[in-house]
Amino acid sequence: MIDHLVLGFETAFTPVNLFWCFVGVLAGTVIGLLPGLGSTTGVAVLLPLTVTFEPVTALIMLAGIYYGAQYGGTITSVLISTPGEAASVVTTLDGYQMARKGRGGAALSIAAIGSFFAAILSLILLMAMAPTFARLALNFGPPENLAIMLLGLVTIISFAGDSRMRGLAMALAGIMIACVGVDAGTGLTRFTFDNVNLMSGIPFVQVMIGLFAVGEVLYQIRSGGAQPIRARFRDLMITREELNRSVAPIARGSVIGYILGCLPGAGSTLASFFAYGVEKRVNKRGKEFGTGAIEGVAAPESANNAAANANFVPTLALGIPGGATTAVLLGAFMMQGIQPGPRLFQDEPALVWGLMASFFLGNVLLLVLNLPLAPAFAQLLRIPYGYMYPLILFTSFVGAYSIDNNFFSVWIVFVFGLIGYGMKRLDLPMAPLVLGLIIGPLLEKNLTQTSAIGDGDLSLLVTRPLSLAILALAVGLLIAPAVVRRLRRRPEPETPERDREPVA
Amino acid sequence: MLVGAAVAVALGATSCGALNPTGGGGGGGGAAGAWKPRGDVRMIIPFGAGGGSDLAGRATAAGLEEASPGLNVNPENREGGAGAVGYGFFMSKQGDPQTLLATENALVTMPQTSKVPWTYKSFTPIAKIAEDGSVVVVKKDSPLKSCMDVVDAAKKRRVMLGLAGSVGGTDDVAFRMIEQKTGVKFARLPTESGSEVVSALLGDEAEVGALNPGEVLGQLRSGELRAICTSAGKRYAYPELKDIETAKEQGIDITYSQFRGILAPGGLSAAEKAYWIEIARKAVNSKAFKKYATRNYLQTDGVQLYGDDFTAELAKKETELGAVLKGVGS
Repeated sequence: MIDHLVLGFETAFTPVNLFWCFVGVLAGTVIGLLPGLGSTTGVAVLLPLTVTFEPVTALIMLAGIYYGAQYGGTITSVLISTPGEAASVVTTLDGYQMARKGRGGAALSIAAIGSFFAAILSLILLMAMAPTFARLALNFGPPENLAIMLLGLVTIISFAGDSRMRGLAMALAGIMIACVGVDAGTGLTRFTFDNVNLMSGIPFVQVMIGLFAVGEVLYQIRSGGAQPIRARFRDLMITREELNRSVAPIARGSVIGYILGCLPGAGSTLASFFAYGVEKRVNKRGKEFGTGAIEGVAAPESANNAAANANFVPTLALGIPGGATTAVLLGAFMMQGIQPGPRLFQDEPALVWGLMASFFLGNVLLLVLNLPLAPAFAQLLRIPYGYMYPLILFTSFVGAYSIDNNFFSVWIVFVFGLIGYGMKRLDLPMAPLVLGLIIGPLLEKNLTQTSAIGDGDLSLLVTRPLSLAILALAVGLLIAPAVVRRLRRRPEPETPERDREPVA
Repeated sequence: MLVGAAVAVALGATSCGALNPTGGGGGGGGAAGAWKPRGDVRMIIPFGAGGGSDLAGRATAAGLEEASPGLNVNPENREGGAGAVGYGFFMSKQGDPQTLLATENALVTMPQTSKVPWTYKSFTPIAKIAEDGSVVVVKKDSPLKSCMDVVDAAKKRRVMLGLAGSVGGTDDVAFRMIEQKTGVKFARLPTESGSEVVSALLGDEAEVGALNPGEVLGQLRSGELRAICTSAGKRYAYPELKDIETAKEQGIDITYSQFRGILAPGGLSAAEKAYWIEIARKAVNSKAFKKYATRNYLQTDGVQLYGDDFTAELAKKETELGAVLKGVGS
């Protein structure tokens, strides 16, 4: 183990590798910032540049883009309520509210700090026990994944604040929107009205830009516009109290993110939603979530970074990509003539350990890069909103078009911008809709697969111990608030304990 | 539905119209200088990143770049619906010579299994550059030793197949052919990619899987999975794969391979088509493509076809598959 670590750092610490690691994380940050351009696209686009590199250098740079994007996606989420990355959607809930209160700098700082600690924690777990976790993850077949998706739907409820019905309704609306397109099981088209553009479904990133960015601008215009924030530079820095409050959420978020990240297919977006939902229930300030609680930024931001690193667990240990971006990275391995698979750790120790050591260096670079920049970025909010609106609308529409150079995307952003405005007027929560849109296809796929394994019978869901346990947890989360309300007479320290234990 | 059919017919007609002048004009090679792409070219890959079709698309893009200095070909994944999404998107690029698609069997199978508004006639086939046979694999401790064992087992009990892509996908068609030849019936676990099939096999959700050699070699080398036969017409020449028997050798008379090719949108001018055919001919000899072909264990010798020859083979394949996929979908 120590030998491997030394080997890893020797490999990663060469000037060439360090330089490309820096280029990677910087490029990742910028890619994360831009709405519409995600880490998957970023890695895929820059992949050909690295063909002539040494394999380890190429992978260090490409991986840097991946986790760098997790940092970058936060910045626009917090400042202008426009998530740059899908994994940063939840961050808008509290991050943007914090920015409106003049605490944008603190939100960005805690996101960077949380991301850093999550990365280090998950890296240690990755180095120490990647093969173990990878084996465990194989126990997660379709029934278990289906149970996880149901658990995800249950956590949605906690997003909606006081009105669970609204949260559920919006989640179902999201799932229904996700039904448009080609059915994964049979390849048949649904709800496309013979429109070729609709065959690829209603694209998630465009919906997100429409709801959050355009919807918010329209709403602001109607409500007369917010005052620009007048804060001194010093006031934008994070305070000691805010740091203390964030310690536990960062730890919980990291663990949740790591576990979900190990599962092939779950990904960092789901991890961030989960972490937020769990934190809201567990944290004693849970009631303040949605109004600018720093815990609501710390938890999901830690989770998405931990998940990004944990995605490498199945990728490196089994040769099975953990998510869309690691799948592209796996392609990079093969382009370099390296056959990913269970023998990778033995066959290519310098590459594997060098890559993991570079994660450490890259995250240090990102922290150094992001901490001083956080208050600087937050200065953006001093710009009067009158100048910001056109800028946000402009980047939204141009960003949407640039996703696939298809004007249809711009229409989607426009339509969902109007929907987002309407939802704000009616006080309907948007995050459950987005989560429904993400979970929908996964839910359907795992449902189809579970049904195929059981020959049309779904009882596997309750006969396999692991999926039964996850389902029980979901049911527990669903009824716990009602039970607690019944027992109102008594103080309620029990619930958080019970919720926390099985998740972590 | 009627509208869809009408659209397909209309598009078929326009693309035929576009193709005819090419045939009539003869010596298209001479016209190649007449047209050149301006700026970046896109290569649509109708499957997810990381799978066999993705690797093929990326290598083809690199090969095209190498064959035409200064040309920039950006691969772009448009996955979903067993390829339907990518091809569907490609339909909206009619007449745009700046967009290509890394094509494979879905081009012929999708129109037979689903109501998609296109057939191969809607597009301009440029080249078939390789064939990629499937290797049938099981987990290391499986009692199944050959594909005949799989058939025999299926006669007695439920055998679950892990399939990348749904009905009409390469794996599905290969096993459908086995079913028609032997009269057995398999259970199917539909997944979206080869790596999901590997997961399902290792996690015991599926018993038998079919994967391209490049997707599974890491697992074969480590001994986690074991190859029991290949659906390719002849054995592989590669030393790592030469011991795998063909299904035919084992007494199951089927042959089915994934083809890899380059497709341009319908409605291209003769000059545009000629340009891409010429570049494709060079691309298959590029270092990038040759490296890809050997690293991913493709069969390239004697299978490459260009332009109208490729179109003719697609027509043949369509008839062949029509029999296998009769009554599926719709």
